[in-house]
Amino acid sequence: MTSLKRSVDTDPFASNLSSKVYVRSTKNGKVQKIVREVYLRQDIPCSSRLCSKCIATAPRSAAGNVSPFVLSDKPAGTKAFPQGHYLVPDTNALLNAMDLFEQGSAFFDVVILQTVLEELRNRSLPLYNRLIGLTKSQEKRFYVFFNEFRLETYVNREVDESINDRNDRAVRHAVKWYNDHLGQTKSKDVPVTVMLSDDRGNLEKAKQDKVPAIRLRDYVSGLKDAERLLDMIAESQERVASKEKKAEFLYPEYFSLSKMMTGVKSGMLHQGIFNVSPYNYLEGSIKVPAFPKPLLILGRDNINRSVDGDVVVVEVLPQDQWKEPSTKIIEEEAITKNENADNDEDAADVVTEKERRALQEQVKKTQGLTTEGRPQPTAKVVGVIKRNWRQYVGHVDPSTVSQTARQGRKQESVFLIPMDKKIPKIRIRTRQAGELLGKRILVTIDSWDREHRNPVGHFVRSLGELETKAAETEALLLEYDVQYRPFPKTVLDCLPSEGHDWKVPTSTDDPGWKDREDLRGLLICSIDPIGCQDIDDALHARPLPNGNYEVGVHIADVSHFVKPANAMDTEASIRGTTVYLVDKRIDMLPMLLGTDLCSLKPYVERYAFSVLWELSPSADIVDVRFTKSVIKSREAFSYEQAQLRIDDASQQDDLTAGMRTLLMLSKKLKQKRMDAGALSLSSPEVKVQMESETSDPIDVKTKELLDTNSLVEEFMLLANISVARKIYDAFPQTAILRRHGAPPKTNFDELANQLKVKRGLELRFDSSKALADSLDACADTSEPFFNTLVRIMATRCMMSAEYFCAGTQSYPEFRHYGLASEIYTHFTSPIRRYADLVAHRQLAAAIDYEAMHPAVRARGRLEAVCKNINVRHRNAQLAGRASVAYYVGQSLKGRVAEEDAFVMRIFSNGFVVLVPPLRHRGPHPPARPRRPGARERLRRRELHPAPLRRLRRAVELFQKVRVRIRDVKDEATGKRGAKMELVAPAA
Amino acid sequence: MATTSQHLLLSPAELAYLHTTLSLSPPLRPDGRTATQFRPLTAETGILPSTNGSARICFADGTEAVVGVKAEVEKTVSVGIPEEDESSRQARQRRRKQARETKSTTTTEEEAEDDAVSSEERRGENEWLELSVEIPGYRDDDSGTVFLASMLSEALLADGELTKKLWINRRFHWKLYLDIILISPPLSYPLPLLSLTTHLALLATRLPRLKSEGDEDPMFDDDWAASQFIFTRGSASTGTSTSRPPITLLVMAVGGNVIFDPSKEELAVADCALAVSVGEAADVETDDAAVVAKGGARALRLLAVRTIDPPSRLTAPGVPNAVNAAAWGQGATTAKETGLRTAETGDVEGVWKAPRGGSKITLISTMVEKVLEKGGVADEVLEGLDGVELA
Repeated sequence: MTSLKRSVDTDPFASNLSSKVYVRSTKNGKVQKIVREVYLRQDIPCSSRLCSKCIATAPRSAAGNVSPFVLSDKPAGTKAFPQGHYLVPDTNALLNAMDLFEQGSAFFDVVILQTVLEELRNRSLPLYNRLIGLTKSQEKRFYVFFNEFRLETYVNREVDESINDRNDRAVRHAVKWYNDHLGQTKSKDVPVTVMLSDDRGNLEKAKQDKVPAIRLRDYVSGLKDAERLLDMIAESQERVASKEKKAEFLYPEYFSLSKMMTGVKSGMLHQGIFNVSPYNYLEGSIKVPAFPKPLLILGRDNINRSVDGDVVVVEVLPQDQWKEPSTKIIEEEAITKNENADNDEDAADVVTEKERRALQEQVKKTQGLTTEGRPQPTAKVVGVIKRNWRQYVGHVDPSTVSQTARQGRKQESVFLIPMDKKIPKIRIRTRQAGELLGKRILVTIDSWDREHRNPVGHFVRSLGELETKAAETEALLLEYDVQYRPFPKTVLDCLPSEGHDWKVPTSTDDPGWKDREDLRGLLICSIDPIGCQDIDDALHARPLPNGNYEVGVHIADVSHFVKPANAMDTEASIRGTTVYLVDKRIDMLPMLLGTDLCSLKPYVERYAFSVLWELSPSADIVDVRFTKSVIKSREAFSYEQAQLRIDDASQQDDLTAGMRTLLMLSKKLKQKRMDAGALSLSSPEVKVQMESETSDPIDVKTKELLDTNSLVEEFMLLANISVARKIYDAFPQTAILRRHGAPPKTNFDELANQLKVKRGLELRFDSSKALADSLDACADTSEPFFNTLVRIMATRCMMSAEYFCAGTQSYPEFRHYGLASEIYTHFTSPIRRYADLVAHRQLAAAIDYEAMHPAVRARGRLEAVCKNINVRHRNAQLAGRASVAYYVGQSLKGRVAEEDAFVMRIFSNGFVVLVPPLRHRGPHPPARPRRPGARERLRRRELHPAPLRRLRRAVELFQKVRVRIRDVKDEATGKRGAKMELVAPAA
Repeated sequence: MATTSQHLLLSPAELAYLHTTLSLSPPLRPDGRTATQFRPLTAETGILPSTNGSARICFADGTEAVVGVKAEVEKTVSVGIPEEDESSRQARQRRRKQARETKSTTTTEEEAEDDAVSSEERRGENEWLELSVEIPGYRDDDSGTVFLASMLSEALLADGELTKKLWINRRFHWKLYLDIILISPPLSYPLPLLSLTTHLALLATRLPRLKSEGDEDPMFDDDWAASQFIFTRGSASTGTSTSRPPITLLVMAVGGNVIFDPSKEELAVADCALAVSVGEAADVETDDAAVVAKGGARALRLLAVRTIDPPSRLTAPGVPNAVNAAAWGQGATTAKETGLRTAETGDVEGVWKAPRGGSKITLISTMVEKVLEKGGVADEVLEGLDGVELA
């Protein structure tokens, strides 16, 4: 009996053939053995400019071009490597210090091995994406070397060798090869190729093999500005090495992934996104499909190291532990004020005494209240599926910085207090604690182990002094993930070469005139807020011989300038929207387009996309058509100017007549809309939303609403609805639409209940019409603001509107609840919203103006776009509001004010009030041309009072109270906030 | 038996010669082997890279077979309550627990279910193994092919050891697909070849290492190097018991001689042919009577015996007119012509005559004993297969 064992050597092709074997588990539970053959090549270049050998054999593209070599022929030297060096980081180095590699001052000429790249992708996708970004940048000179495909650098896995060991060996082998390979070049100063690692074992083996290698920390210490850079190395790995002895766990262990998946599948566990209550950092909630109301997660133990936004798996607690949502405001700084970051481990228990007491009181309260409030199911986190950690902005807690560190350079742990209240304090180790005091800094979380009370992170960069305009603005933009960098060159290259001199071609034979209607003869005007530069829309109306009216809405033809899928389009789709801060506007499109070429400025010819209706005198649509056009606006009015002109009886020209027609029709349209049940919700939030719907302020209370405001608004709504119908007809699967879901009934329960008990008013919410009517009825003659208050609170109960792709929902779901329209989209502000731009392209295709670009046609892509712009819109709103809040805070600085306020929400140790518009308040932040409505928003704000310790008098919901507002800076934490005191319940 | 009788072009004289030489003591076999000698073979494993296990065996006479084993994870359909899923099962357990707490009377049955998986519960189902045999030139529903397949699977399933190894947890199991392919034309009855190749392929079969615990949805280590053999191989020196898949051997008897691994020609003159399936008893302590444990050597265990009709049995012998009902006119002659009758029915030296009647029970037990005896053929074959390197 013979055993036949083929040896590898007998195969003549064996040398450049290899295979990878692994097990793949598919989603539907299949487990397969996968064998991939690997064909090894010898023509993969080293990409060093020094090397003449590789350039000769490097593979060429179809056009015969070799991609240029990346690594510099004179790389920078350090003390240890005076002749210059190339860096080859291993996976751990990248995992621990990606921020370092992104530095502009060091880390050039880096070889990223394929082995490392693939390992990194398996370990952390965000880091992988950042690294890919780095390899694409020209100036950093990062080169991806496909060592796994090059014959000389390929490494076979040995028997009983773990994958990690094999990969480490592959890295060492590649470094060795690089050195040998470059040694063959004739140049006299051959740079050393150095492995950069954090793994002690790997470094030792490199030493044995005589492969140049250096520890990440040692390397960084040799660089300029080492102290700042050293802080950027992730915290975790160092600690593991230094203190393995300690193994006291503060948090329960997570379940294994398989256990979680089994549990989720069988319905024993639930998966969802973890949200922290803005009022109480010890209370989180998670919405899961199995329960109508969100599950509550109370206390540090149950929250178990999850951070706001993480995708977590929870287990529902037994019914006797179900509780009511907290009735108390608990802020982290207030409770954990005196904790020391260094002594973290000594606090053996996760839950400190203070925290426990805070929770205890609450439990008592719950038990007393068994009949009134039904306890909600509670849950505990048993595992995290996906961390959604990002970079966080915050400032160092001054009380955690020791005196010695303020002068010396000792490394120590400090707490970072994030700006976002929902994020726990982050512990960072730094040598520059003294310098970082009083600065806005950016950090990332590295890990949160079971033995640490707080997550551990590291410093990324400093934004500047606290409470300086630049630092705070940048902090806001970072916190809300707004792209604020200037447009890159590739984007600017997409602009018309004529720049500001661009004009509509005079000859109508020009390709730009193709299929465009010449509407230059129409008496078109635009109505916008004062100082508006990016004029999206213009209008006209004229009587028709049959007694009907022709009405036209003309929208800037942005899609003419922004072609699908080019760099500018990609950038705009990422930005999603223009962001308006108090003193700054972050554009979606470059200035040249937004404020000049696209903007429908008066007296000049502009390309436009027109919607033309034939309306009967009672404002019924007889006919509608859409066309690309060329227009010439006769005048750019402000709302006030337009109103004056309409009211001025002496003006009898055709333009004014057209405006009067528009006004007459708009009133009828509005009446129809209100009859259908459209909501007019007055609140800071909804107002913002409505603005984005119409590009107009509809602020009812703070400012006299001019008829012209609603004139523009009505026609924009009409245009949006007409366009929505058209593109949905043409593209029932891919049309980009906007919906506003009907709010779940349970959302209104509490408000309706309170209104009934406290005021004897009834709130009906079975349809938007019923809600609109009953909101109208909620009025208090003695207090006009009461109605607004109720509206604001009702708005809180609603869903937010969202963009979607028509194919993802059934038709009844298209409904826009707030506008009471069956179908809706955004079409009228393409300069500042990406969704409108997509709608423009779809409409152009629907009227056969141009072929549909694949990017606008692919549903999957559109869904991704919708998802992104929904997020961007939300963030833009939040950023705008935060910016207002910051300026209001600054304007209050050092002053005390007494104001009337209304109670919105009551906690057991405080309450939330809404301070109505501060009509004659002091200085507003510097006003610059900006989005309409921003100023109005400034005037209203809502502040969370600090716990009112001596709250003797009972305060009721909806009650008018008088509060003293004071700006206080907490000396301990360095956090500024408005503190309020109750002066007297106003009669 | 179509397969056994294939291409049999031997004259009665040749058959008679074969029968005679094989009946000698010791028998003279056409290829010069001794009675217990196997044909030389070459074997290798791991020839199909994307299978979980594979083997190829090539006999010296040119027959060659390849076996590939593929494994898939399958959900176990619970027999007790059909379509019971995890949640309802747990709910049922909870109810029982509550019931038990209230009554405080426990039955052992319930205990067993809640406890950690007892070895009793690790029981496989026969459906977890699917086996297909392909013989070139034959349809897969040919009776010969089907018979081969059922014989092979019967042997594999007989002791339940193999399917027990496919158990993952209470809710999942591996399903093995065995593809047995004879590459060469069936020059001889392929049963031993296919059985040995299957044996080797199963020995080489590895399953991904399980990472999850208990009754969770199974998750596996994605490192193939960490995968585990179904049949773990203990080393002889340490004396750890090695479990192995069973093998099926072909044994025939001519006259009083028991001959192993018969060639096609030999089989043509067999008085009796048996397919004997032998397994290795995992632990000696079983008091099964069929276990023949001798000393520290491998404990072999008889799993199945099947008789195979040799071609000699398929050719009907001539029937004398005297007893032939079809010839009743002339046949009813006197009983005087006994000499003639003997000539027709009795054995005549040098004339081939197909065997008639059943084999004696003692003969069959001798054959089986020969297979199982220590240092016997089965032992030798297993020993030989041990020497094959597992890729």
